[in-house]
Amino acid sequence: MSLDFGLILKQMPDILSGLWVTLWMWIVATLLGAALGFLVAVGRRYGPAPLDWLLKLCVEMLRGTPFLVQLFLLYFGGPFIGLRLEPIPAGLLGLTVYAAAYFSEIFRAGFQAVPKGHVEAADMAGLSRAQILRRIILPEMTMLVLPQCVNMAIVLIKETAILSIITVPEMTMVIGAIGSQQYAFVDAMFLLAIIYWVLVEICGFLGRLAEARLSKFRFAAS
Amino acid sequence: MNSTAPSPVRAGDPASQTADAVPAVDVKGVTKRFGATEVLQGIDLSVPAGATTCLIGPSGSGKSTLLRCIAFLEEATTGTIAIHGDPLGFAEGPDGKRTRLSPQAIRTVRSRIGMVFQQFNLWPHMTALGNVCEALVTVRKMKRKDAEERGMAQLTRVGLANRAAHYPSELSGGQQQRVAIARALALDPEILLFDEPTASLDPELTGEVLNVMRDLASSGMTLLVVTHEIGFAATVGQRIAFLDHGRLLLNGSPREVFGEPRHPRLAQFLETYLDRGAATLL
Amino acid sequence: MSWRLFDLMLWAAGYTVLLSGISIAIGLTLGLLVCAAKLSTSRLLSAPATVFISFFRGVPLLVQLLLIYNLLPQIGIMVPSVVAAILGLSLCTAAYQAENLRGGFNSVPKGLLEAADMVGLSPWQQLTRIRAPIAFRLTLPALVNEAILILKASSLISVVGVIELTRMAQNLAASTYKPLLFYSVAGGLYLVICWTLAGGGALAERLTRTHRA
Repeated sequence: MSLDFGLILKQMPDILSGLWVTLWMWIVATLLGAALGFLVAVGRRYGPAPLDWLLKLCVEMLRGTPFLVQLFLLYFGGPFIGLRLEPIPAGLLGLTVYAAAYFSEIFRAGFQAVPKGHVEAADMAGLSRAQILRRIILPEMTMLVLPQCVNMAIVLIKETAILSIITVPEMTMVIGAIGSQQYAFVDAMFLLAIIYWVLVEICGFLGRLAEARLSKFRFAAS
Repeated sequence: MNSTAPSPVRAGDPASQTADAVPAVDVKGVTKRFGATEVLQGIDLSVPAGATTCLIGPSGSGKSTLLRCIAFLEEATTGTIAIHGDPLGFAEGPDGKRTRLSPQAIRTVRSRIGMVFQQFNLWPHMTALGNVCEALVTVRKMKRKDAEERGMAQLTRVGLANRAAHYPSELSGGQQQRVAIARALALDPEILLFDEPTASLDPELTGEVLNVMRDLASSGMTLLVVTHEIGFAATVGQRIAFLDHGRLLLNGSPREVFGEPRHPRLAQFLETYLDRGAATLL
Repeated sequence: MSWRLFDLMLWAAGYTVLLSGISIAIGLTLGLLVCAAKLSTSRLLSAPATVFISFFRGVPLLVQLLLIYNLLPQIGIMVPSVVAAILGLSLCTAAYQAENLRGGFNSVPKGLLEAADMVGLSPWQQLTRIRAPIAFRLTLPALVNEAILILKASSLISVVGVIELTRMAQNLAASTYKPLLFYSVAGGLYLVICWTLAGGGALAERLTRTHRA
């Protein structure tokens, strides 16, 4: 067999609109998910014990079930409890909540990884709890969790493909549809795979670049 | 070992008990429990102002715990600690009951204490100068420029002015510890606590840190040093306190503590530290 | 939900576990080979391994599955959809497991091998007696994690028509108009399996703690 992307690439405007939907939904869900995940991590660390248990239960339920099932529950089950969402809002909400669960675990580990002595030194220097959080814990944590956050962003761009199953007009759905119309589905999937591959490699490259720039702040070996 | 009395020799004589002689640190009846183990079993210790006091003792004797209680990084289970006469953390009423002081009062008393840690604990995302200036700006509300001027002066004092722009990961262990000392000095503490400051350093790097400490000692600052460097303790320390199994066994001048007749537990301890400068004492 | 339908869900959950288990096993074997190729000093072996790992980790599993499912008949290979599904899952997890194994092998402290060399162990003995056991112990948590990921990812093979847990829930939800119920039950069953795996992994880690590098 031979691959022919020509038929598919003729539909460039459609492909670009699909790419656009993929990219903006990915970026928005990643940012919102990280923000929500951070709040969850802070709530679990500094909030009362019952809040910690409740959040832990939610996080573990989200981490223990497939994204597809969560999406089906939200999109098909939602209307039965009065939550009737169009595909794009449903997809965005589902992806954000899913991302938040994983991000919260990354940040939780980050909090724990900041050496206790660094906080004690700040305490001895007279910094208040808020100052210690803002000036010491958060910057140190950012360096510690950056690789995992980049990793999670890469996981999420791949998860956006699943949104096509609930008919979000993103890249997988658009290119799949073109492939079916043109009787060139395999060619379409190859092209799609290559586009995702390139996106993931770019994301990984940028992540490594950022890590290298931060390497100066690595923990000093004692 | 004839009694559990904390010291064969008490600091000063009754005649000199004037206002000047208020000890820099006054530890009274401090115990500390971690679960079932009693790490400190009733410590009474007064650290004189303007002198260097060295806390020595075997590993696990409770010296670091005592120092951390004095820094209020650990809370003593019972007993009180006063800094220049002002109670730290807890105040003892006339009825002997301990009451917890307000966070504000604790912060005020504590701001008079500086601490240098075994693991340096420099903040990795700030330069050497950034580490020294951090509290001057965020806590003392100094202008960045003034803080940096003062920070540079302290870095110069520990011989690291040329490393001001370096991050901790770019400094050797000895340099990191000297930056940590500058960071503590910048806040102008009345008392400087050292928790085994050279224990994480390669042997060839301990000298530069001990030299800085020697300079501080001769400048008349109040230093309280937990150390395994017996040679340093014997030559720089003006007071030596020997802890064993959570009790203060000896407390006096180096001559009184190390001289004959020697306490059997101390003699035993020194035997194991011949390579840390104890040999010269035998 | 009648008990008959619940039985169907349970059966489908069992099928999900079976398919994931087979994929993990094939993926581990394949991953070991890819890892060996990647660690090889010959570029003829390491370069294809690098591309394999990068591709299967860089493309969404859904796209991989759709590609394989549609590609096989086009190149004349007629297999049931479940075989295509297992192939897709196995290739994907092989890429991840190869990276995990590589990480494990690379984190075996060099000094341990030098010590083995000094007491006269042959390279093969060093591999089988020292390097592999320690690497396995170091890789175990990642392996358990990967098993959980594949179990959850197996829900995607529902799109190529394999009636596993997610597809069963979809079918029953559609025919009974009770999506809330069936997707919740499916989610609950996934949770039980994942938590069991995680618990088993923690236990295995405790039992093998004797050699911690």
